[in-house]
Amino acid sequence: MDTSLETAAPIGASGRVAVTLDMIELALKWLGGAILAVTFVLVMTSVTLRYVFGSGLIWSEELAIWLNVLLVSVGAPLAVTGPLAMRLDVIVRFLPRTVQLAARVLADAIAIDASIILALGAAGVVGAIGGTSTVLGLPEWLRYAAVSIGGGLSVLLLFGRSYLQDGLPRALLVLAIGAGLYVAAHELQIASLATPSLAAGAVAAIGLIAGAPLPHTLLVGVSLAAPFGAMLPEPALVQNTIVGVSKFLLLAIPFFLLAGGLLTEGGLADRLVRFAASLVGHLRGGLAQTTLVSSVMFSGASGSSIANAAFGAKVMVPALVAHGYTLPRAAAVVAATAMLDNIIPPSIAFLILASATNLSVGSLLVGGFIAGGVLALALGVGIYITSRDEKPVREPASGRERARSFVESLPAIGLGIVVVVGIRFGVVTTTEASALAVAYALVVCLMLRTLNGRSLASAFCQAAGEAAAIGLLIGTAAPFAFLMAVDRVSDLVTTVVTALGGSALAVMLLANVVLLAAGLLLDIGAAILLLAPLLLPAATLAGIDPIQFGVILVVNLMIHGLTPPLGILVYVASGVSGARPAQVFREVVPLLIALLCALAVLCIFSALTAAPTKL
Amino acid sequence: ATTITISSLLGADKPETKIWFKVKEIVDAKLPGRFDFRIVQNAALGGEKEVAEGIRLGSIQASLSTVSAMSSWVPESQILDAPFVFRDAGHVRRVLEGQIGNELKTKFAAQNFIVPGYINYGARHLLAKEAITKPAQLAGKRIRVIQSPLHTELWKALGANPTPIPITETYNALQTGVVDMMDLTKSAYAGFKLYEVVPYLIETAHIWATGVVYFSAPFWKTLKSSEQEVLAAAALEGAHHFDALIVEDETASMAKAAAAGGKTVQPEDRPAWEAGARGVWAALGPKVGGVDKIEAIAKTA
Ligand code: NA
Ligand code: NA
Repeated sequence: MDTSLETAAPIGASGRVAVTLDMIELALKWLGGAILAVTFVLVMTSVTLRYVFGSGLIWSEELAIWLNVLLVSVGAPLAVTGPLAMRLDVIVRFLPRTVQLAARVLADAIAIDASIILALGAAGVVGAIGGTSTVLGLPEWLRYAAVSIGGGLSVLLLFGRSYLQDGLPRALLVLAIGAGLYVAAHELQIASLATPSLAAGAVAAIGLIAGAPLPHTLLVGVSLAAPFGAMLPEPALVQNTIVGVSKFLLLAIPFFLLAGGLLTEGGLADRLVRFAASLVGHLRGGLAQTTLVSSVMFSGASGSSIANAAFGAKVMVPALVAHGYTLPRAAAVVAATAMLDNIIPPSIAFLILASATNLSVGSLLVGGFIAGGVLALALGVGIYITSRDEKPVREPASGRERARSFVESLPAIGLGIVVVVGIRFGVVTTTEASALAVAYALVVCLMLRTLNGRSLASAFCQAAGEAAAIGLLIGTAAPFAFLMAVDRVSDLVTTVVTALGGSALAVMLLANVVLLAAGLLLDIGAAILLLAPLLLPAATLAGIDPIQFGVILVVNLMIHGLTPPLGILVYVASGVSGARPAQVFREVVPLLIALLCALAVLCIFSALTAAPTKL
Repeated sequence: ATTITISSLLGADKPETKIWFKVKEIVDAKLPGRFDFRIVQNAALGGEKEVAEGIRLGSIQASLSTVSAMSSWVPESQILDAPFVFRDAGHVRRVLEGQIGNELKTKFAAQNFIVPGYINYGARHLLAKEAITKPAQLAGKRIRVIQSPLHTELWKALGANPTPIPITETYNALQTGVVDMMDLTKSAYAGFKLYEVVPYLIETAHIWATGVVYFSAPFWKTLKSSEQEVLAAAALEGAHHFDALIVEDETASMAKAAAAGGKTVQPEDRPAWEAGARGVWAALGPKVGGVDKIEAIAKTA
C-alpha cells in the first residue's frame, strides 16, 4: 500500500475525509478485482465441466451476468471521480475563465444527478420488478440493490472529492444543483415534443461540452427528456441501463482487458516485438514497420486498442525516438497502428456491436480479419511513403534469427490462436474463449515465471476498473437507444441515408458521412451502441451485407480514435509517451489518409457486392 | 391521444408485428384518434424478459410474450410448456379456453400483466444433421438448448447432452460441429436458414410454444371500462389472426426448407419419447400445482 498517504496527510477534518475517501476507493478497487477473479473461476469451471466432463452448470451464465452487474456497480463510483471518467475537457479549455468555472460546477452537478438517479431509480426497481430468476432461484431485485448502493457511494465520493478540492461552499453548490436537476426531471412539464429524444440529445450535448463524464451525461439527458414528453419512468431508465450490461457476451470485455494486461505484464508482448523486428526491421522506415507488425500481432491476442496504444507508447516510442523519429511522429505511428486492435479479432468494439444488434460475433470475426488485413496494408504503404528520411535500422535478419525469434514469440502467438480457434471452431461462446485466453496467459506467465502475486493482483484490479467504466457506458447508452427507438429515430436516419436514392453505394456513402460526423463528438463505444441499430436496417434494406456493414461501421468509428477533439488513441499514446497531443494530431494526418483510403476500398467493395434483399 | 408503446421482437413482415397492425386497425375504427400506437419492431426495446420488466415499470404498454419468459413471475404458467403433453394446436386451444387458461389469466393480472388472449407460436421440433427418429439415437449427441432448466432436463432425460447457446451463435455452432442438434418452431427454423446446417426436421412437436398478448396493468387502470373492452376485444381478434398467420408462415417456411434440400421426418416409438418426458413432469409438478394436473391435461380431449 502507498505509505506516502500517511506522511503527507492533511490535518484536521479534511484530512480525515481524505483518508476515508481513499480507503473507500481502495476497498472498491480490490472488491472489483475480487469479483472479476470469482467470475473468471466460475466461467472456467463451467467450461471445464462442459467440455471435460460433458455436464454444464445451468446457472453459471446467469450468475456470471449478475456478477458483471455487481462489478459495474462497484466500479461506478471509481469511474466517476478517477482517471477512467470519460470527460471531454478540450472544449472547456477554450472558454473564458469564469465560464470555465461555471462549466465545471455544471459538469459535477450532472455527475451528482446521474448518481442520484442510479441510487433512487434502482431502489424503485427493487420495489416494483418482482419475479424470481428461474435458473438461480434468487429474486430479481437483488441486482438492483447493488446498483442502488453503487449510486449512493458515487454521490458520497463526488461530494467528498469536491469538498476536498474546492471547499465546502462549492461542494454544497454542486450538490444543490445536482439535486435540483433531479427534482426538475420529476416535477417540470415544459412541452410535449413528438421526439423527446431530441431534448435528451441536447441536454447530453451540453453536459458533454461542459466536461461531465459521458455515461452520466447520457443518463441525465434521458431523465431530462421527461419534461419534454418522454415516457421513460426513472425505475425503467435504470432497468434499461442494467439490461444493457446484463449480457453474457459483455463479460468478454473484462477478460480480454485482463488478457491484454497479462500479455504486457508477463513480458509476452516484448517477444512479439523482437519477432516483428526480425521480419520487417530492415525495410525503409523499418522501426515504424516493426511497430505496425508488432501491433498486428498484439491485436491478435488483445481486444483493446487502448491497451495496444499504451503498450506501443511504452515500448516502441523510446526505440523510435532513439532512431531519429521525432517524439510526436513516433507517438502518431503508435496511435495509428493501435486502431487495428479493435478490427483484428478479438475486438471489444465488435462485442459491443454484436450486443447492440444481434450480429454474430463469429461472422464479424471473419470480416474483421479481412478488413484488418486491408487496413494494415494501407498503414504499411503510408509508413513506407512518409518514412523517406529514416535509414534502415538493421541488416535483414538471417533465417535462423527469424526462426529463433518466432519460436520465442510462440507463447504470445498461441494466445491469439486460442482465442480465434476458440470462438470460431472449438469453444461455444466468445465469453468462454476470452476466459480461456486469460487462463492461457496465466499458465504461460507462471511457467515463464514472469508474474508474481502482486503484479497478478494489480492486473485483475486494473482490468476490473476499466471494464466497469466501459460497462457503465454501455449500460447508460441503453436508455438513450430505447428513447430513440420509441421516437422512431431510425426512420429519420433511414430518410437521411437514402436521400441520394436507395442504391447500395449512395446509402454506404451517406452512412459513412453520418458516422464520420457523429464520431467527431461521440465516444467510439457510445457511437456503436447508438448508431448501429439506427443505420443497420437502412443498409440491409439497400442490400448491403449486414456483417460487412458492421465491420465498416467499426472501422469508420475507430478512425476517430485519431481525430480531434476526442481522438482517444492519440491521447493515450501522448499521455504515456509524453508527447503533446496537438502535435501528434498533426503528425498522424498522413496515416489517417491511408486509413481513409482503405475505408473507401472496403466501402466500394461492399457496395458493389451488395444484393437487394428479397423478403 | 394516449401513447401506447408496443414492443415487437421481429420486423413488419412477421406475425409478431402484423398482429399489432390488426389491433391498431380495429381500435382506430372504434375509437378514432384516442390512441397513438407506437409499434417498435426488431427487438429495439429488448428481449421478452426485459420487455415484461418494462411493462411492470411503465416504459412499455403492450407486447407479446411466450409463457416461458413469464414464468419468472407466474411459475404456474410453465404447465403450458410441459413436454409431450399436448397432441395438437386444437388441444392447446381447448385447454387455454377452459379453467386452466382462466386461472392463469388471474395469476398474470396479480403480477400486473393484463392478458386478454393467448397465442400459439407453433410446436418445437427436433432439428438434426441426420434422421433421428427414436430417443435411443440421441445418446451422446450434443443439443443446443435455450437457457431453461425445463429444456435442459428434457434432453438430459432423453439421453442427449444439452448446451445453452445464444440463438445468434447457433448457426455457427451447428456448422462447426460444436453441437449436433437443436429444437425450434418451423417458422424460426426457416427464418434463421437452419436447414443449411441441420437439414432434418423431426416432427416431434414435443413442446407447444404458447404465448400471451398482454398489456401493462398500471396503464390499463387509467382507461375507461368501455376503452378496456375495445382493446381486449381487439387483442383477442388479433390473437386469432396471429394463430392463422403462424400456420400460413409454417407452411411457407417448410416449402422454403424443402426447396433448399430440407427433409421432414416423422418420429417413431412415441411411448419412448413420452417416457423421457415423464421425469420432467415430475420435476415440474410442484411448481404448477401437482403432477396430477399435467396428467389430467394429457388425458383431456
Ligand atoms: Na484485437
Ligand atoms: Na490491444
